[in-house]
Amino acid sequence: MNNKTAALSIKWEDILELVFDSRIDSVGLNERVDSLATRSIKKDSKLDALNMIVSMCDLTTLEGEDTEGKISQMVAKAITPDPSNLDIKNVAAVCVYPSLVSIAKEKVGNSGVKVAAVSSYFPSGQVPMESKLLDTKYAIDSGADEIDIVINRKAFLEGDYRKVYDEIVALKEACGDVHLKTILEVGDLKTYENIRKASLISLAAGSDFIKTSTGKLSVGSSRQACYVMAKAVLDFKNLTGISAGIKVAGGIRDSKDAIRYLVLINEEMGDEWLTPDLFRFGASSLLDDVLKQIKKLKTGAYQASYYFPRG
Amino acid sequence: MIEIKKTYKNYVGGKYVRSESGKTFTLNLKNDSFEVPLTSKKDIRDAVTSSKVGFEKWSEISPYTKTQILYRLSEMIEGNKDSYVDLLVLCGSTKNQAKKDVETAIENIVWYAGLADKWEQISGNLNPVNGEYFNISHQNPIGVVFSLNSNDNSLTSLLNSIIQPLTVGCSVISFSEESSIIALKFAEDINNSDFPPGSLNILSGQFENVFEDVSKHVEINLISICKEIPNEMLTKIQENASNSVKRIVNMPSIDGISSILSFLETKTVWHPKGT
Amino acid sequence: MVNWEYSESVESQEIVNIKDKYQNFINGKFQQQNSKKYINTISPSTEEVLSKIVISNEKDVDNAVQSAQLGFEKWSNTSPHERSKHLFKLARLIQERSREFAVLESMDGGKPIKESRDFDLPQVAANFFYFAGWADKIDLSWGAKSLKPHGVVGQIIPWNFPLLMLAWKVAPALATGNTVVLKPAETTSLTALLFAELCEQAGLPDGVVNIITGDGTTGSLIVNHKDINKIAFTGSTQVGKLIQKSLAGRDVGLTLELGGKAANIVYEDAAIDQAVEGVVNGIFFNQGHVCCAGSRLLLQESIHDEFVAKLEKRMQTLRVGNPLDKNTDIGAINSKEQLNKIEGLVNEGVSDGGKIFQTECELPGNGFWFKPTLFTDVQPSYSIAREEIFGPVLTTLTFRTPQEAVEIANNTEYGLSAGVWTEKGSKILWTADRLQAGVVWANTFNKFDPSSPFGGYKESGFGREGGRQGLLSYLKAES
Repeated sequence: MNNKTAALSIKWEDILELVFDSRIDSVGLNERVDSLATRSIKKDSKLDALNMIVSMCDLTTLEGEDTEGKISQMVAKAITPDPSNLDIKNVAAVCVYPSLVSIAKEKVGNSGVKVAAVSSYFPSGQVPMESKLLDTKYAIDSGADEIDIVINRKAFLEGDYRKVYDEIVALKEACGDVHLKTILEVGDLKTYENIRKASLISLAAGSDFIKTSTGKLSVGSSRQACYVMAKAVLDFKNLTGISAGIKVAGGIRDSKDAIRYLVLINEEMGDEWLTPDLFRFGASSLLDDVLKQIKKLKTGAYQASYYFPRG
Repeated sequence: MIEIKKTYKNYVGGKYVRSESGKTFTLNLKNDSFEVPLTSKKDIRDAVTSSKVGFEKWSEISPYTKTQILYRLSEMIEGNKDSYVDLLVLCGSTKNQAKKDVETAIENIVWYAGLADKWEQISGNLNPVNGEYFNISHQNPIGVVFSLNSNDNSLTSLLNSIIQPLTVGCSVISFSEESSIIALKFAEDINNSDFPPGSLNILSGQFENVFEDVSKHVEINLISICKEIPNEMLTKIQENASNSVKRIVNMPSIDGISSILSFLETKTVWHPKGT
Repeated sequence: MVNWEYSESVESQEIVNIKDKYQNFINGKFQQQNSKKYINTISPSTEEVLSKIVISNEKDVDNAVQSAQLGFEKWSNTSPHERSKHLFKLARLIQERSREFAVLESMDGGKPIKESRDFDLPQVAANFFYFAGWADKIDLSWGAKSLKPHGVVGQIIPWNFPLLMLAWKVAPALATGNTVVLKPAETTSLTALLFAELCEQAGLPDGVVNIITGDGTTGSLIVNHKDINKIAFTGSTQVGKLIQKSLAGRDVGLTLELGGKAANIVYEDAAIDQAVEGVVNGIFFNQGHVCCAGSRLLLQESIHDEFVAKLEKRMQTLRVGNPLDKNTDIGAINSKEQLNKIEGLVNEGVSDGGKIFQTECELPGNGFWFKPTLFTDVQPSYSIAREEIFGPVLTTLTFRTPQEAVEIANNTEYGLSAGVWTEKGSKILWTADRLQAGVVWANTFNKFDPSSPFGGYKESGFGREGGRQGLLSYLKAES
């Protein structure tokens, strides 16, 4: 799964060719994504799908007001999402700022929940490279299992794709074996072609995952953006043999929406991508809705939020 | 003194040709008589071949240029007005009738000359489809048109049987029987104007000799019948036409925009609107 | 790792109430017909008998035409504005009962509920809405006051989009002031008969819409009836030619919407993933029972292998099965007869030397089914590259230059539709200009709208349906 060899296995010229070859018809793409949303999941399949979503969730808190107490609550929820139903296993990871990594790491213990840190001056990334490296190294030294960085949108939108690439390469080098997720911030990139270009650059530079959004913009993930990224990941795999992951984050509020993402991944990429190793949801409010739906399927009754402990 | 009469020939592919059969027939006009080519089946096939080439050339000429070529045709006739009047008088018209006929023909040509670069704006349009698509319907000329002229010895009638398909970019094989002399004379003006070879072909003959071949010929896209013909003949033509879904227009409208619609195919093009 | 699959999500049939047998709808009511000959109408996905319909005979056709003549008098005396309101009302009623229509359509015809629900029925209603508004604006349509209705129009429609083809025919005919005798296809008459109920409900004057069932013999009786003023036919080129021949020498209007063998041209600079989707939609929509289906895939040589690989992968995700399952992409082949025809042509393709690819889906036991099929290594001379298969079978040809693409695309007696895929604008316009086809879809395929004219060049027929141009199919210039 690790993409550390990618930067070596594909030449910049080759990836540039692929980047400049990015052609997407937005209307056709929207139509396809809409048609995937009509897939209907019922009964047993639905329960399986909901459990899968739980296992793919990254619980996240990325606020100035985050404290040890807040992290404790979140980790507790990550390990035991629904205390009334212990069949529901832990989520994939918790995601925090670098300064809170060591606390989170201590709380998760050997539960299997991973600790991810956002770094490289998340969410804007508007600092010198040295600072990004420092930020990242600090998180890794604090024990982070996964690092979420942001691409340099300034460089990207100015057309300096090489700079975007070089920065990711450098950060990947700093990560070593630590899992690197690269956030494209699709809400800043606007067009599908930009999303595809940024995806390809990020993958070529060695990202293990590409991620839609920081969650800090009003425009977060969309199934359309996810579709573009899925196609890029597939094309990259065709070229290099490397299977990279996708994380969708921001704006995925309910189970229905999340299931539509799974359908999309299943249809476009195949079920080998339906694993927390290759697909994640970053969404704080999604988990509660999924838990509600699971309980509803079991009991037949619609649930209230206060049945589920805060994260 | 022996009168040496001009020999009229068919006009095909921009050239004056005799019927390959060598046959002619006599046109007995009211005040004179002429020998004119008796078009054979082989002549028809040759005309279709020329007409296909003519269609490619003529349909690719810009509407603006078509307008000028058509307008020039009116100028050519205007310049030769007297000779038309003389010929029409030989056919039996009074001088006044003949003058009026030529003037009306010229006016019609000018009207259609001015339509050549406008009809697409009238017959085509944007369609307000539901969804993120640009959708436009516009028209293409249907292709090779065979037009049967009426037996009126009239330049106006001849023009009314050919000008509409020409205006929209079709090539025309015009076939005349009793009124051939006007048509063959008219061929001279075509040759002096700027129509590409094969775009307008003028034949004389007896339709009953060739109608089977005409109606069966797959490369004729439309047959326009501007003269009353026996119902059995029309039936046979339409039956033959059905083998290639050929379009048949019996007594086409000569009125305004509806006069060109039969000679058009509507093409609708869709394209998404996105980023 | 958790595993999950789509479970069946079957639309309930309870909403539909099918009678044991049906009568013709003439002069505003269902009437006992003269013919005693009934045939079963079956569900092609289960082979279960749904009902019986009558094969109308000469007397029945005569009754329907007479009723339409009386209806024409009433309809002519109805003001254009009132006619418009009648059509608006019909449109609304269709919307209100669209779920019922959709389920019935899928049961009787075998098409996936996803399509009957999300495509056919919305389009049916849209056609009535669109033409409703034209009814009192005919004068504006072509700026000619001389355009008048033909009178009694005989309409013969196919089984691929039963109710939608009815809407394409009935809505413009009524809007222009004609009255109709409509014959649905014998395998798919049920939604037309349900529509007849709506005509009653909408308070349409008696005789304006007459619906009689039957097979080709009934169709021929309509065509040959002495009091028919116009025929509108959608179906095969073969039958279209027979109709044109039958009408020879008669003063009867005719429009034909016939077969096709559309080229779907994919240039190397296309948005490939969307092109793959468009190609899939172009041929597998409605089991490929679409006259304008993109059945000839023309691939630029440079992208052939990549494209075919992506296409085959995408085809594997197509779900074939129960038409009433909301997850079904491809339903049942409409009839045993059609299935035999598809199988025959596909076998020919294989023996000609084409390389066949079929998806690994399981087909249900009963009913008529055919796997999504792709042919590569095909020569333009093969019958699978020339004949209309009218099934889920795509034939691939290659080209090197735009000139060659256009040549191959036009190398057919058909001229109904075509597709072009490239991100280069000028190449789209260049190509579209040269394609001899009534509809050109650029960077999309199989899109329809009541405002968008549809119809063929060459042996795909003449006349247009839909849009302002579609009105002309039901009007004649009167001096």
